Amino acid sequence: MPVASLLTVWLLAPVPAPADTLHLVNDAADARPLVIYGVLDMPQMRPLLADFHRRNPDVDIVYHNLQSIELHARVRQQHARPEADVLISPAMPWQFQLANDGLSAPLETAMASAWPAWARWRQELFGVTFEPIVMVYRRDLAARMAPPRSHAELLERLEEMPEPLRGRVVTYDPRLSGAGYTYAVEDARISARYWALVEALGRSEAALETTTSAMLEGLSDGRYWIGYNLIGSYAQSYVNAHPELEIVVPRDYALVLQRMVMTLRDAPHPRTAERFVDYLLGEPAQRLIATETSLGAVHPGITGLGTANALRDTLGDAIRPVRIGPGLLAPLDTLKRQALLEQWRQAFDNHPPEPSASLTSTLEPTQEPASP
Amino acid sequence: MSLAPPIRLSHLSLYRRLAIWLLLPLALLAAIMLVEAWLTSRQAADRAYDRLLDAASLSIAEQVRWQQSGLWLNLPASALEMLATDAEERVFYALYDVHGHYVTGNRPLPALPAGDGEPRMSYADVTSDDMALRLGVLRARLEGWDRSDRFEVRVAQTLEGREALASQLFRASLVNVLVIAGLAMIIVLLSARIALEPLTRLRRAIRERDPRTLSPLTLEMPRELAELREALNELLARMRRVRANQERFIGDASHQLRTPLAGLSARAELALRQSDPARWREALVTMDDTANRASRLAGQLLSLTRLNNPEAALDRERVDLVALARGCVRNTFSRLHRRGVDLGIEAAPRTVVVDATPWQLEEALINLVDNASVYGATLVTVRIETAPPRLIVEDNGPGIPESERLLALRPFHRGQESGSGTGLGLAIVDSVARAHGARLTLHDAYPEHSERPGLCIVITFCDA
Repeated sequence: MPVASLLTVWLLAPVPAPADTLHLVNDAADARPLVIYGVLDMPQMRPLLADFHRRNPDVDIVYHNLQSIELHARVRQQHARPEADVLISPAMPWQFQLANDGLSAPLETAMASAWPAWARWRQELFGVTFEPIVMVYRRDLAARMAPPRSHAELLERLEEMPEPLRGRVVTYDPRLSGAGYTYAVEDARISARYWALVEALGRSEAALETTTSAMLEGLSDGRYWIGYNLIGSYAQSYVNAHPELEIVVPRDYALVLQRMVMTLRDAPHPRTAERFVDYLLGEPAQRLIATETSLGAVHPGITGLGTANALRDTLGDAIRPVRIGPGLLAPLDTLKRQALLEQWRQAFDNHPPEPSASLTSTLEPTQEPASP
Repeated sequence: MSLAPPIRLSHLSLYRRLAIWLLLPLALLAAIMLVEAWLTSRQAADRAYDRLLDAASLSIAEQVRWQQSGLWLNLPASALEMLATDAEERVFYALYDVHGHYVTGNRPLPALPAGDGEPRMSYADVTSDDMALRLGVLRARLEGWDRSDRFEVRVAQTLEGREALASQLFRASLVNVLVIAGLAMIIVLLSARIALEPLTRLRRAIRERDPRTLSPLTLEMPRELAELREALNELLARMRRVRANQERFIGDASHQLRTPLAGLSARAELALRQSDPARWREALVTMDDTANRASRLAGQLLSLTRLNNPEAALDRERVDLVALARGCVRNTFSRLHRRGVDLGIEAAPRTVVVDATPWQLEEALINLVDNASVYGATLVTVRIETAPPRLIVEDNGPGIPESERLLALRPFHRGQESGSGTGLGLAIVDSVARAHGARLTLHDAYPEHSERPGLCIVITFCDA
């Protein structure tokens, strides 16, 4: 199954916490159960669940924080008899694939209809967060060079001074990380100069990591000076605690990923599932997302720090949310993925491919390390 | 228990008939138009959206290459994007090689039978995993120097967009059809009302007439109703003639009855002035004769009235003409013999049966015989013939000139002023003949005697 092999290399969680579970108990006899599979760490998820539970004390909530690989494997495995009611995952292509295959249920509420069209698909799949993909650099970099503020400036720095930056730039390895692969696809779609950037990264022997947290730790250690394509929400909370790091949302264009929420078609508890998704789309939950988490709220009625509106105000047209549509299916195509990764490898290694051997070797999925 | 009266079509008003027979086909027509509009909308929507399948599969097919040992596809995201319209359809694609092996895709899609000829693209509605899909299959061929393998690109989308477009198109047609049907209905109802308006005028004109007025209607009418008006006018004309006849008959009858009564009165007055019993006796004899004539006249008037009464029930039975004639002759023979008339009968010794009312036939026969004797015949022969049954009375009297024979059948017409006939005899016979559907003919009995040709009256019955 092509999807499964792809998923083996997909890992988003920057802190791959053990598959932990949060249980907000209501053990009354008439309690309404709700089971959520999510790729969202407890510190971010807990305030939302607590608030929902406060508003709906009759619901007995079980939240499983999974890695996206495991989440999608479980959903595919359970298929027609799912255990979960609601899925939350930033692995947009995979979430879209589940919805496109008809595993999602439509949410027919006023809130769902009013949700911005760019952040939803068919009233079935909703982007509830707004997380830019960012660059992070060490503050002491400023002593050596002007820190890059955009993709173009990063390319410029790499071409101008390859020697000082040799081995000092870090980014995702798209061959090993599903997130990195997704950003590579989107970058390549947006700009033809992306391939020049990949070649420059290759020439300067950029380091390749598989998680945002690994990159952040390398930057904090001083091993790396510049990190490219990090997940903004995680970077933000990390940078808040590490003053030696500075976060940059690229000015020319900033990819934005969204946690996609959907109710499963065969959800065992569809009513509570609907209530929860409807809650996530509502202003209270979105305000919590803006204030209590680093995720970024989507709701058009909410402004201020930590919202899509604020990001748009500062960056304007440079904001490029990943488009929610069938285009997301293309990178999941086995052959497409092989072709793209082969192109990436060629650009990064700066030499023509040796056909068959290298191709198969790069496609061999490598297991994500258990911890950064 | 109150049951609705059964609907009887013959009782429906003309307006309703017209309305029903025009509106039913109209409704049928509208229904057909709606069905047709729905099918057309579906087809138009399918055509429009099949283009997307077409474009997407072409754009995918362009990216198919031969690489290493198999088909290779660099799937363009735009191909998938173009399949999803504003309706956000689910989209599926798959690439199959020449042997029908799945190469890549996001869902296995069924094959479609290749049509005749070379249609590169074929479409079908399919169901996959309980999902209704429109499938497009593109049969293509690698275009390279070394290989030209065939392959199939199959793309599918869910039907939301098509259905939305189809129902949008259909709604537009629906409005059109309904507006047209509504207008047509109004026009039909109005024109039915207008077309029937002259009928209302005619009815009103008839109802408003004085019941004694028999003058013709002079309304301006459309052709169909003009015919009805003419028929009515003809009926009125006949009624006028009948009434005129009746009035004349009544006048004649009063006149005829008044004459003998006046005679009686004068004779009695004259006799009373005298005292000779012999004169009285003479007067009484004359009065008796006059009274007899008056009585006979009244009897004949009564018969004629009875005969002409169309409501008289006709009790027909099988009547033997021979027996009937013999009876009559027997009854009248002595009376005529006293007047010096020789009455005879000629009939075959067997029965001649007709359907008839016996008293009417007797009346006719007696009148014929009496008539002959009254107008001066001395020899009267009653003859019965068979096949067809005929009743013939022949006399050797003065006869009736040919020009007066038709007139002679009218009441109170007397061939000659002399004689003591009432002028009703032949009229009665004519009425009887007509009541029996028999033919009455008059001709000379002895045409060789031009002075006194006699009269032969034949009543020819239909074959029983």
